[in-house]
Amino acid sequence: MPTRSMFLRILWKLFGASRGRLTLALVALASGAAVCSALLNVDLDAGRKLTQEFRTLGANVVIAPLPAGGDAALADAGVMDRIAALRIPQIFAAAPYLYVAANSGTQPVILAGTWFDPAEKINSWWKVEGNWVSRGGESSDGLTQCLVGSAAARQLGLAQGSRVELRSGDHSISLIVAGIVTTGGSEDNQIFTRLDLAQDLAGLPGKVSLVQLSVSGTASEIEGVTSHLAAALPGLDVRPVRQIAAAEGTILGRIRGLIFWTIALILSLSMLGVLASMAALAMERSKDVGLMKALGGSVPRIMRLFLAEAGALGVVGGTIGFVIGVVLARWIGGRVFGVAISPRLEVFPVTVALTVAVALAGALPLRLLGRVRPAEILRGE
Amino acid sequence: MPPLVRVEHLEKRFGEVLALDGVDFDVESGEWIAIMGPSGSGKTTLINILGGLDHPTGGRVEVDGADISNLAEGDLTRYRSEKIGFVFQQFHLVPYLTAVENVMLAQYFHSITDEKEAAEALQRVGLGDRLDHVPAQLSGGEQQRVAIARALINHPKLILADEPTGNLDEANESVVLDLFRQLHAAGHTILIVTHSQPIGNLADRRVELEHGRLARISAPSLTKK
Repeated sequence: MPTRSMFLRILWKLFGASRGRLTLALVALASGAAVCSALLNVDLDAGRKLTQEFRTLGANVVIAPLPAGGDAALADAGVMDRIAALRIPQIFAAAPYLYVAANSGTQPVILAGTWFDPAEKINSWWKVEGNWVSRGGESSDGLTQCLVGSAAARQLGLAQGSRVELRSGDHSISLIVAGIVTTGGSEDNQIFTRLDLAQDLAGLPGKVSLVQLSVSGTASEIEGVTSHLAAALPGLDVRPVRQIAAAEGTILGRIRGLIFWTIALILSLSMLGVLASMAALAMERSKDVGLMKALGGSVPRIMRLFLAEAGALGVVGGTIGFVIGVVLARWIGGRVFGVAISPRLEVFPVTVALTVAVALAGALPLRLLGRVRPAEILRGE
Repeated sequence: MPPLVRVEHLEKRFGEVLALDGVDFDVESGEWIAIMGPSGSGKTTLINILGGLDHPTGGRVEVDGADISNLAEGDLTRYRSEKIGFVFQQFHLVPYLTAVENVMLAQYFHSITDEKEAAEALQRVGLGDRLDHVPAQLSGGEQQRVAIARALINHPKLILADEPTGNLDEANESVVLDLFRQLHAAGHTILIVTHSQPIGNLADRRVELEHGRLARISAPSLTKK
């Protein structure tokens, strides 16, 4: 019989002989692995979902021209193509804006030209009475649509379906109100329409005042994207909206920190559980180890048996724990985050590797068996 | 031809206690030596040093031409697996391994395992029908016979037995002693620690210790140094 088979045979018998203590160690390992797997799944999946939810809270990075000669210069709309060409995966949406000082009759009002699709993605939290501007920015009867801020609507006496005539210099446009928007911010005083119409009204074709971006990730990831954009867009001022980016980053960082320290604590407790079982096992096995040494077993060869036993416990405990953890993660996702957590396969090797490491660390008392002196053990000392 | 075992001025000190004090004797290949003496006379200490389970604090022990007195732990481990077959009073079988696996364990630490050879070794000691029994399912005599099969499986130069019948009833003692007779007849070199005069009388020579010193060697063929 090959020696490897005898190794496995002894290993199998070791499991059978100490199944009580090993079951306790396995329970400790599987429990730790379950919590570890659940939290890692939550960290990866809920983290992703939370950053998606954060993205509905508005822009967290703004690109604007650098101030020149005291007046804000205007950026070329080609900046949008340059941003798209960078293919930065963290950019959730980017919307250009051109602000134009216009008049409705005698009333001054700010007209904001934008791309409605990304603007809606970035500002999905806006409360709109009526409808968002439809794709193409035109109503079914061919009229150009706009959104009107609630304060501007009150000032101009506008409601959904009203028509509004805006003039700037020699140019004028006629719009139909698709919806009234309330944000609680400066948007309440503005009228929103298609970017190209605002450019025509202002006589600034191809120009934008600024670009709002929604970037997902932690504070440091957002800083990274900001730096990347700043380097790629010379002459433009790229800056994070500090309050939003920092708040999002802080929340994510705290959740991740909480998860990391909980995993560390749980795995330490698991290791203590394994240590207790293995310490008792070491006492039980000292005679067997003494005998094995007397029969010519070298310390590394004997220890390989015990470390393989601990490693196998880690693999089994990690696998069981991973499965339980997936169920636990779904429960935590539903209860705590209100979202279904999808199991992530990459958590499996991480869970098993961590559990094996914990099992081997917990098997430290078995390594002390290497110091057993066979003569003393066989004499019964 | 040099002796298989040469013990020269052997000394073993445990703190203040001198367990062995200048012991000298030789063992020829194929001899059966009984090591005798009262409790605390140093018999087990002597056999532990000969078996590479302990280091002497003075003197020299040569086995099969090699000085084992100052071997490093790794070399002593190899020495035990290749040259020595142990039989203990308490049998010392691994309780969760079957009879044949206990024999194979010695093969495993020596080189490679051969279950057929291990089974044949058990058949030679009359346990052909007990291969798959664990020690708890065997009588004391049967357990000691498993230990003897295990001691022989790697064809050791020297069989060291420490009170091998000390835990056996008369019937089982007789069976085990018969096995030792057969081993001796087959040319094995045996050192057996015993309190029993009748067992001592079965040996070619008796090495008697008192207070760690060699008191006498009581056979005419003895070469006392």
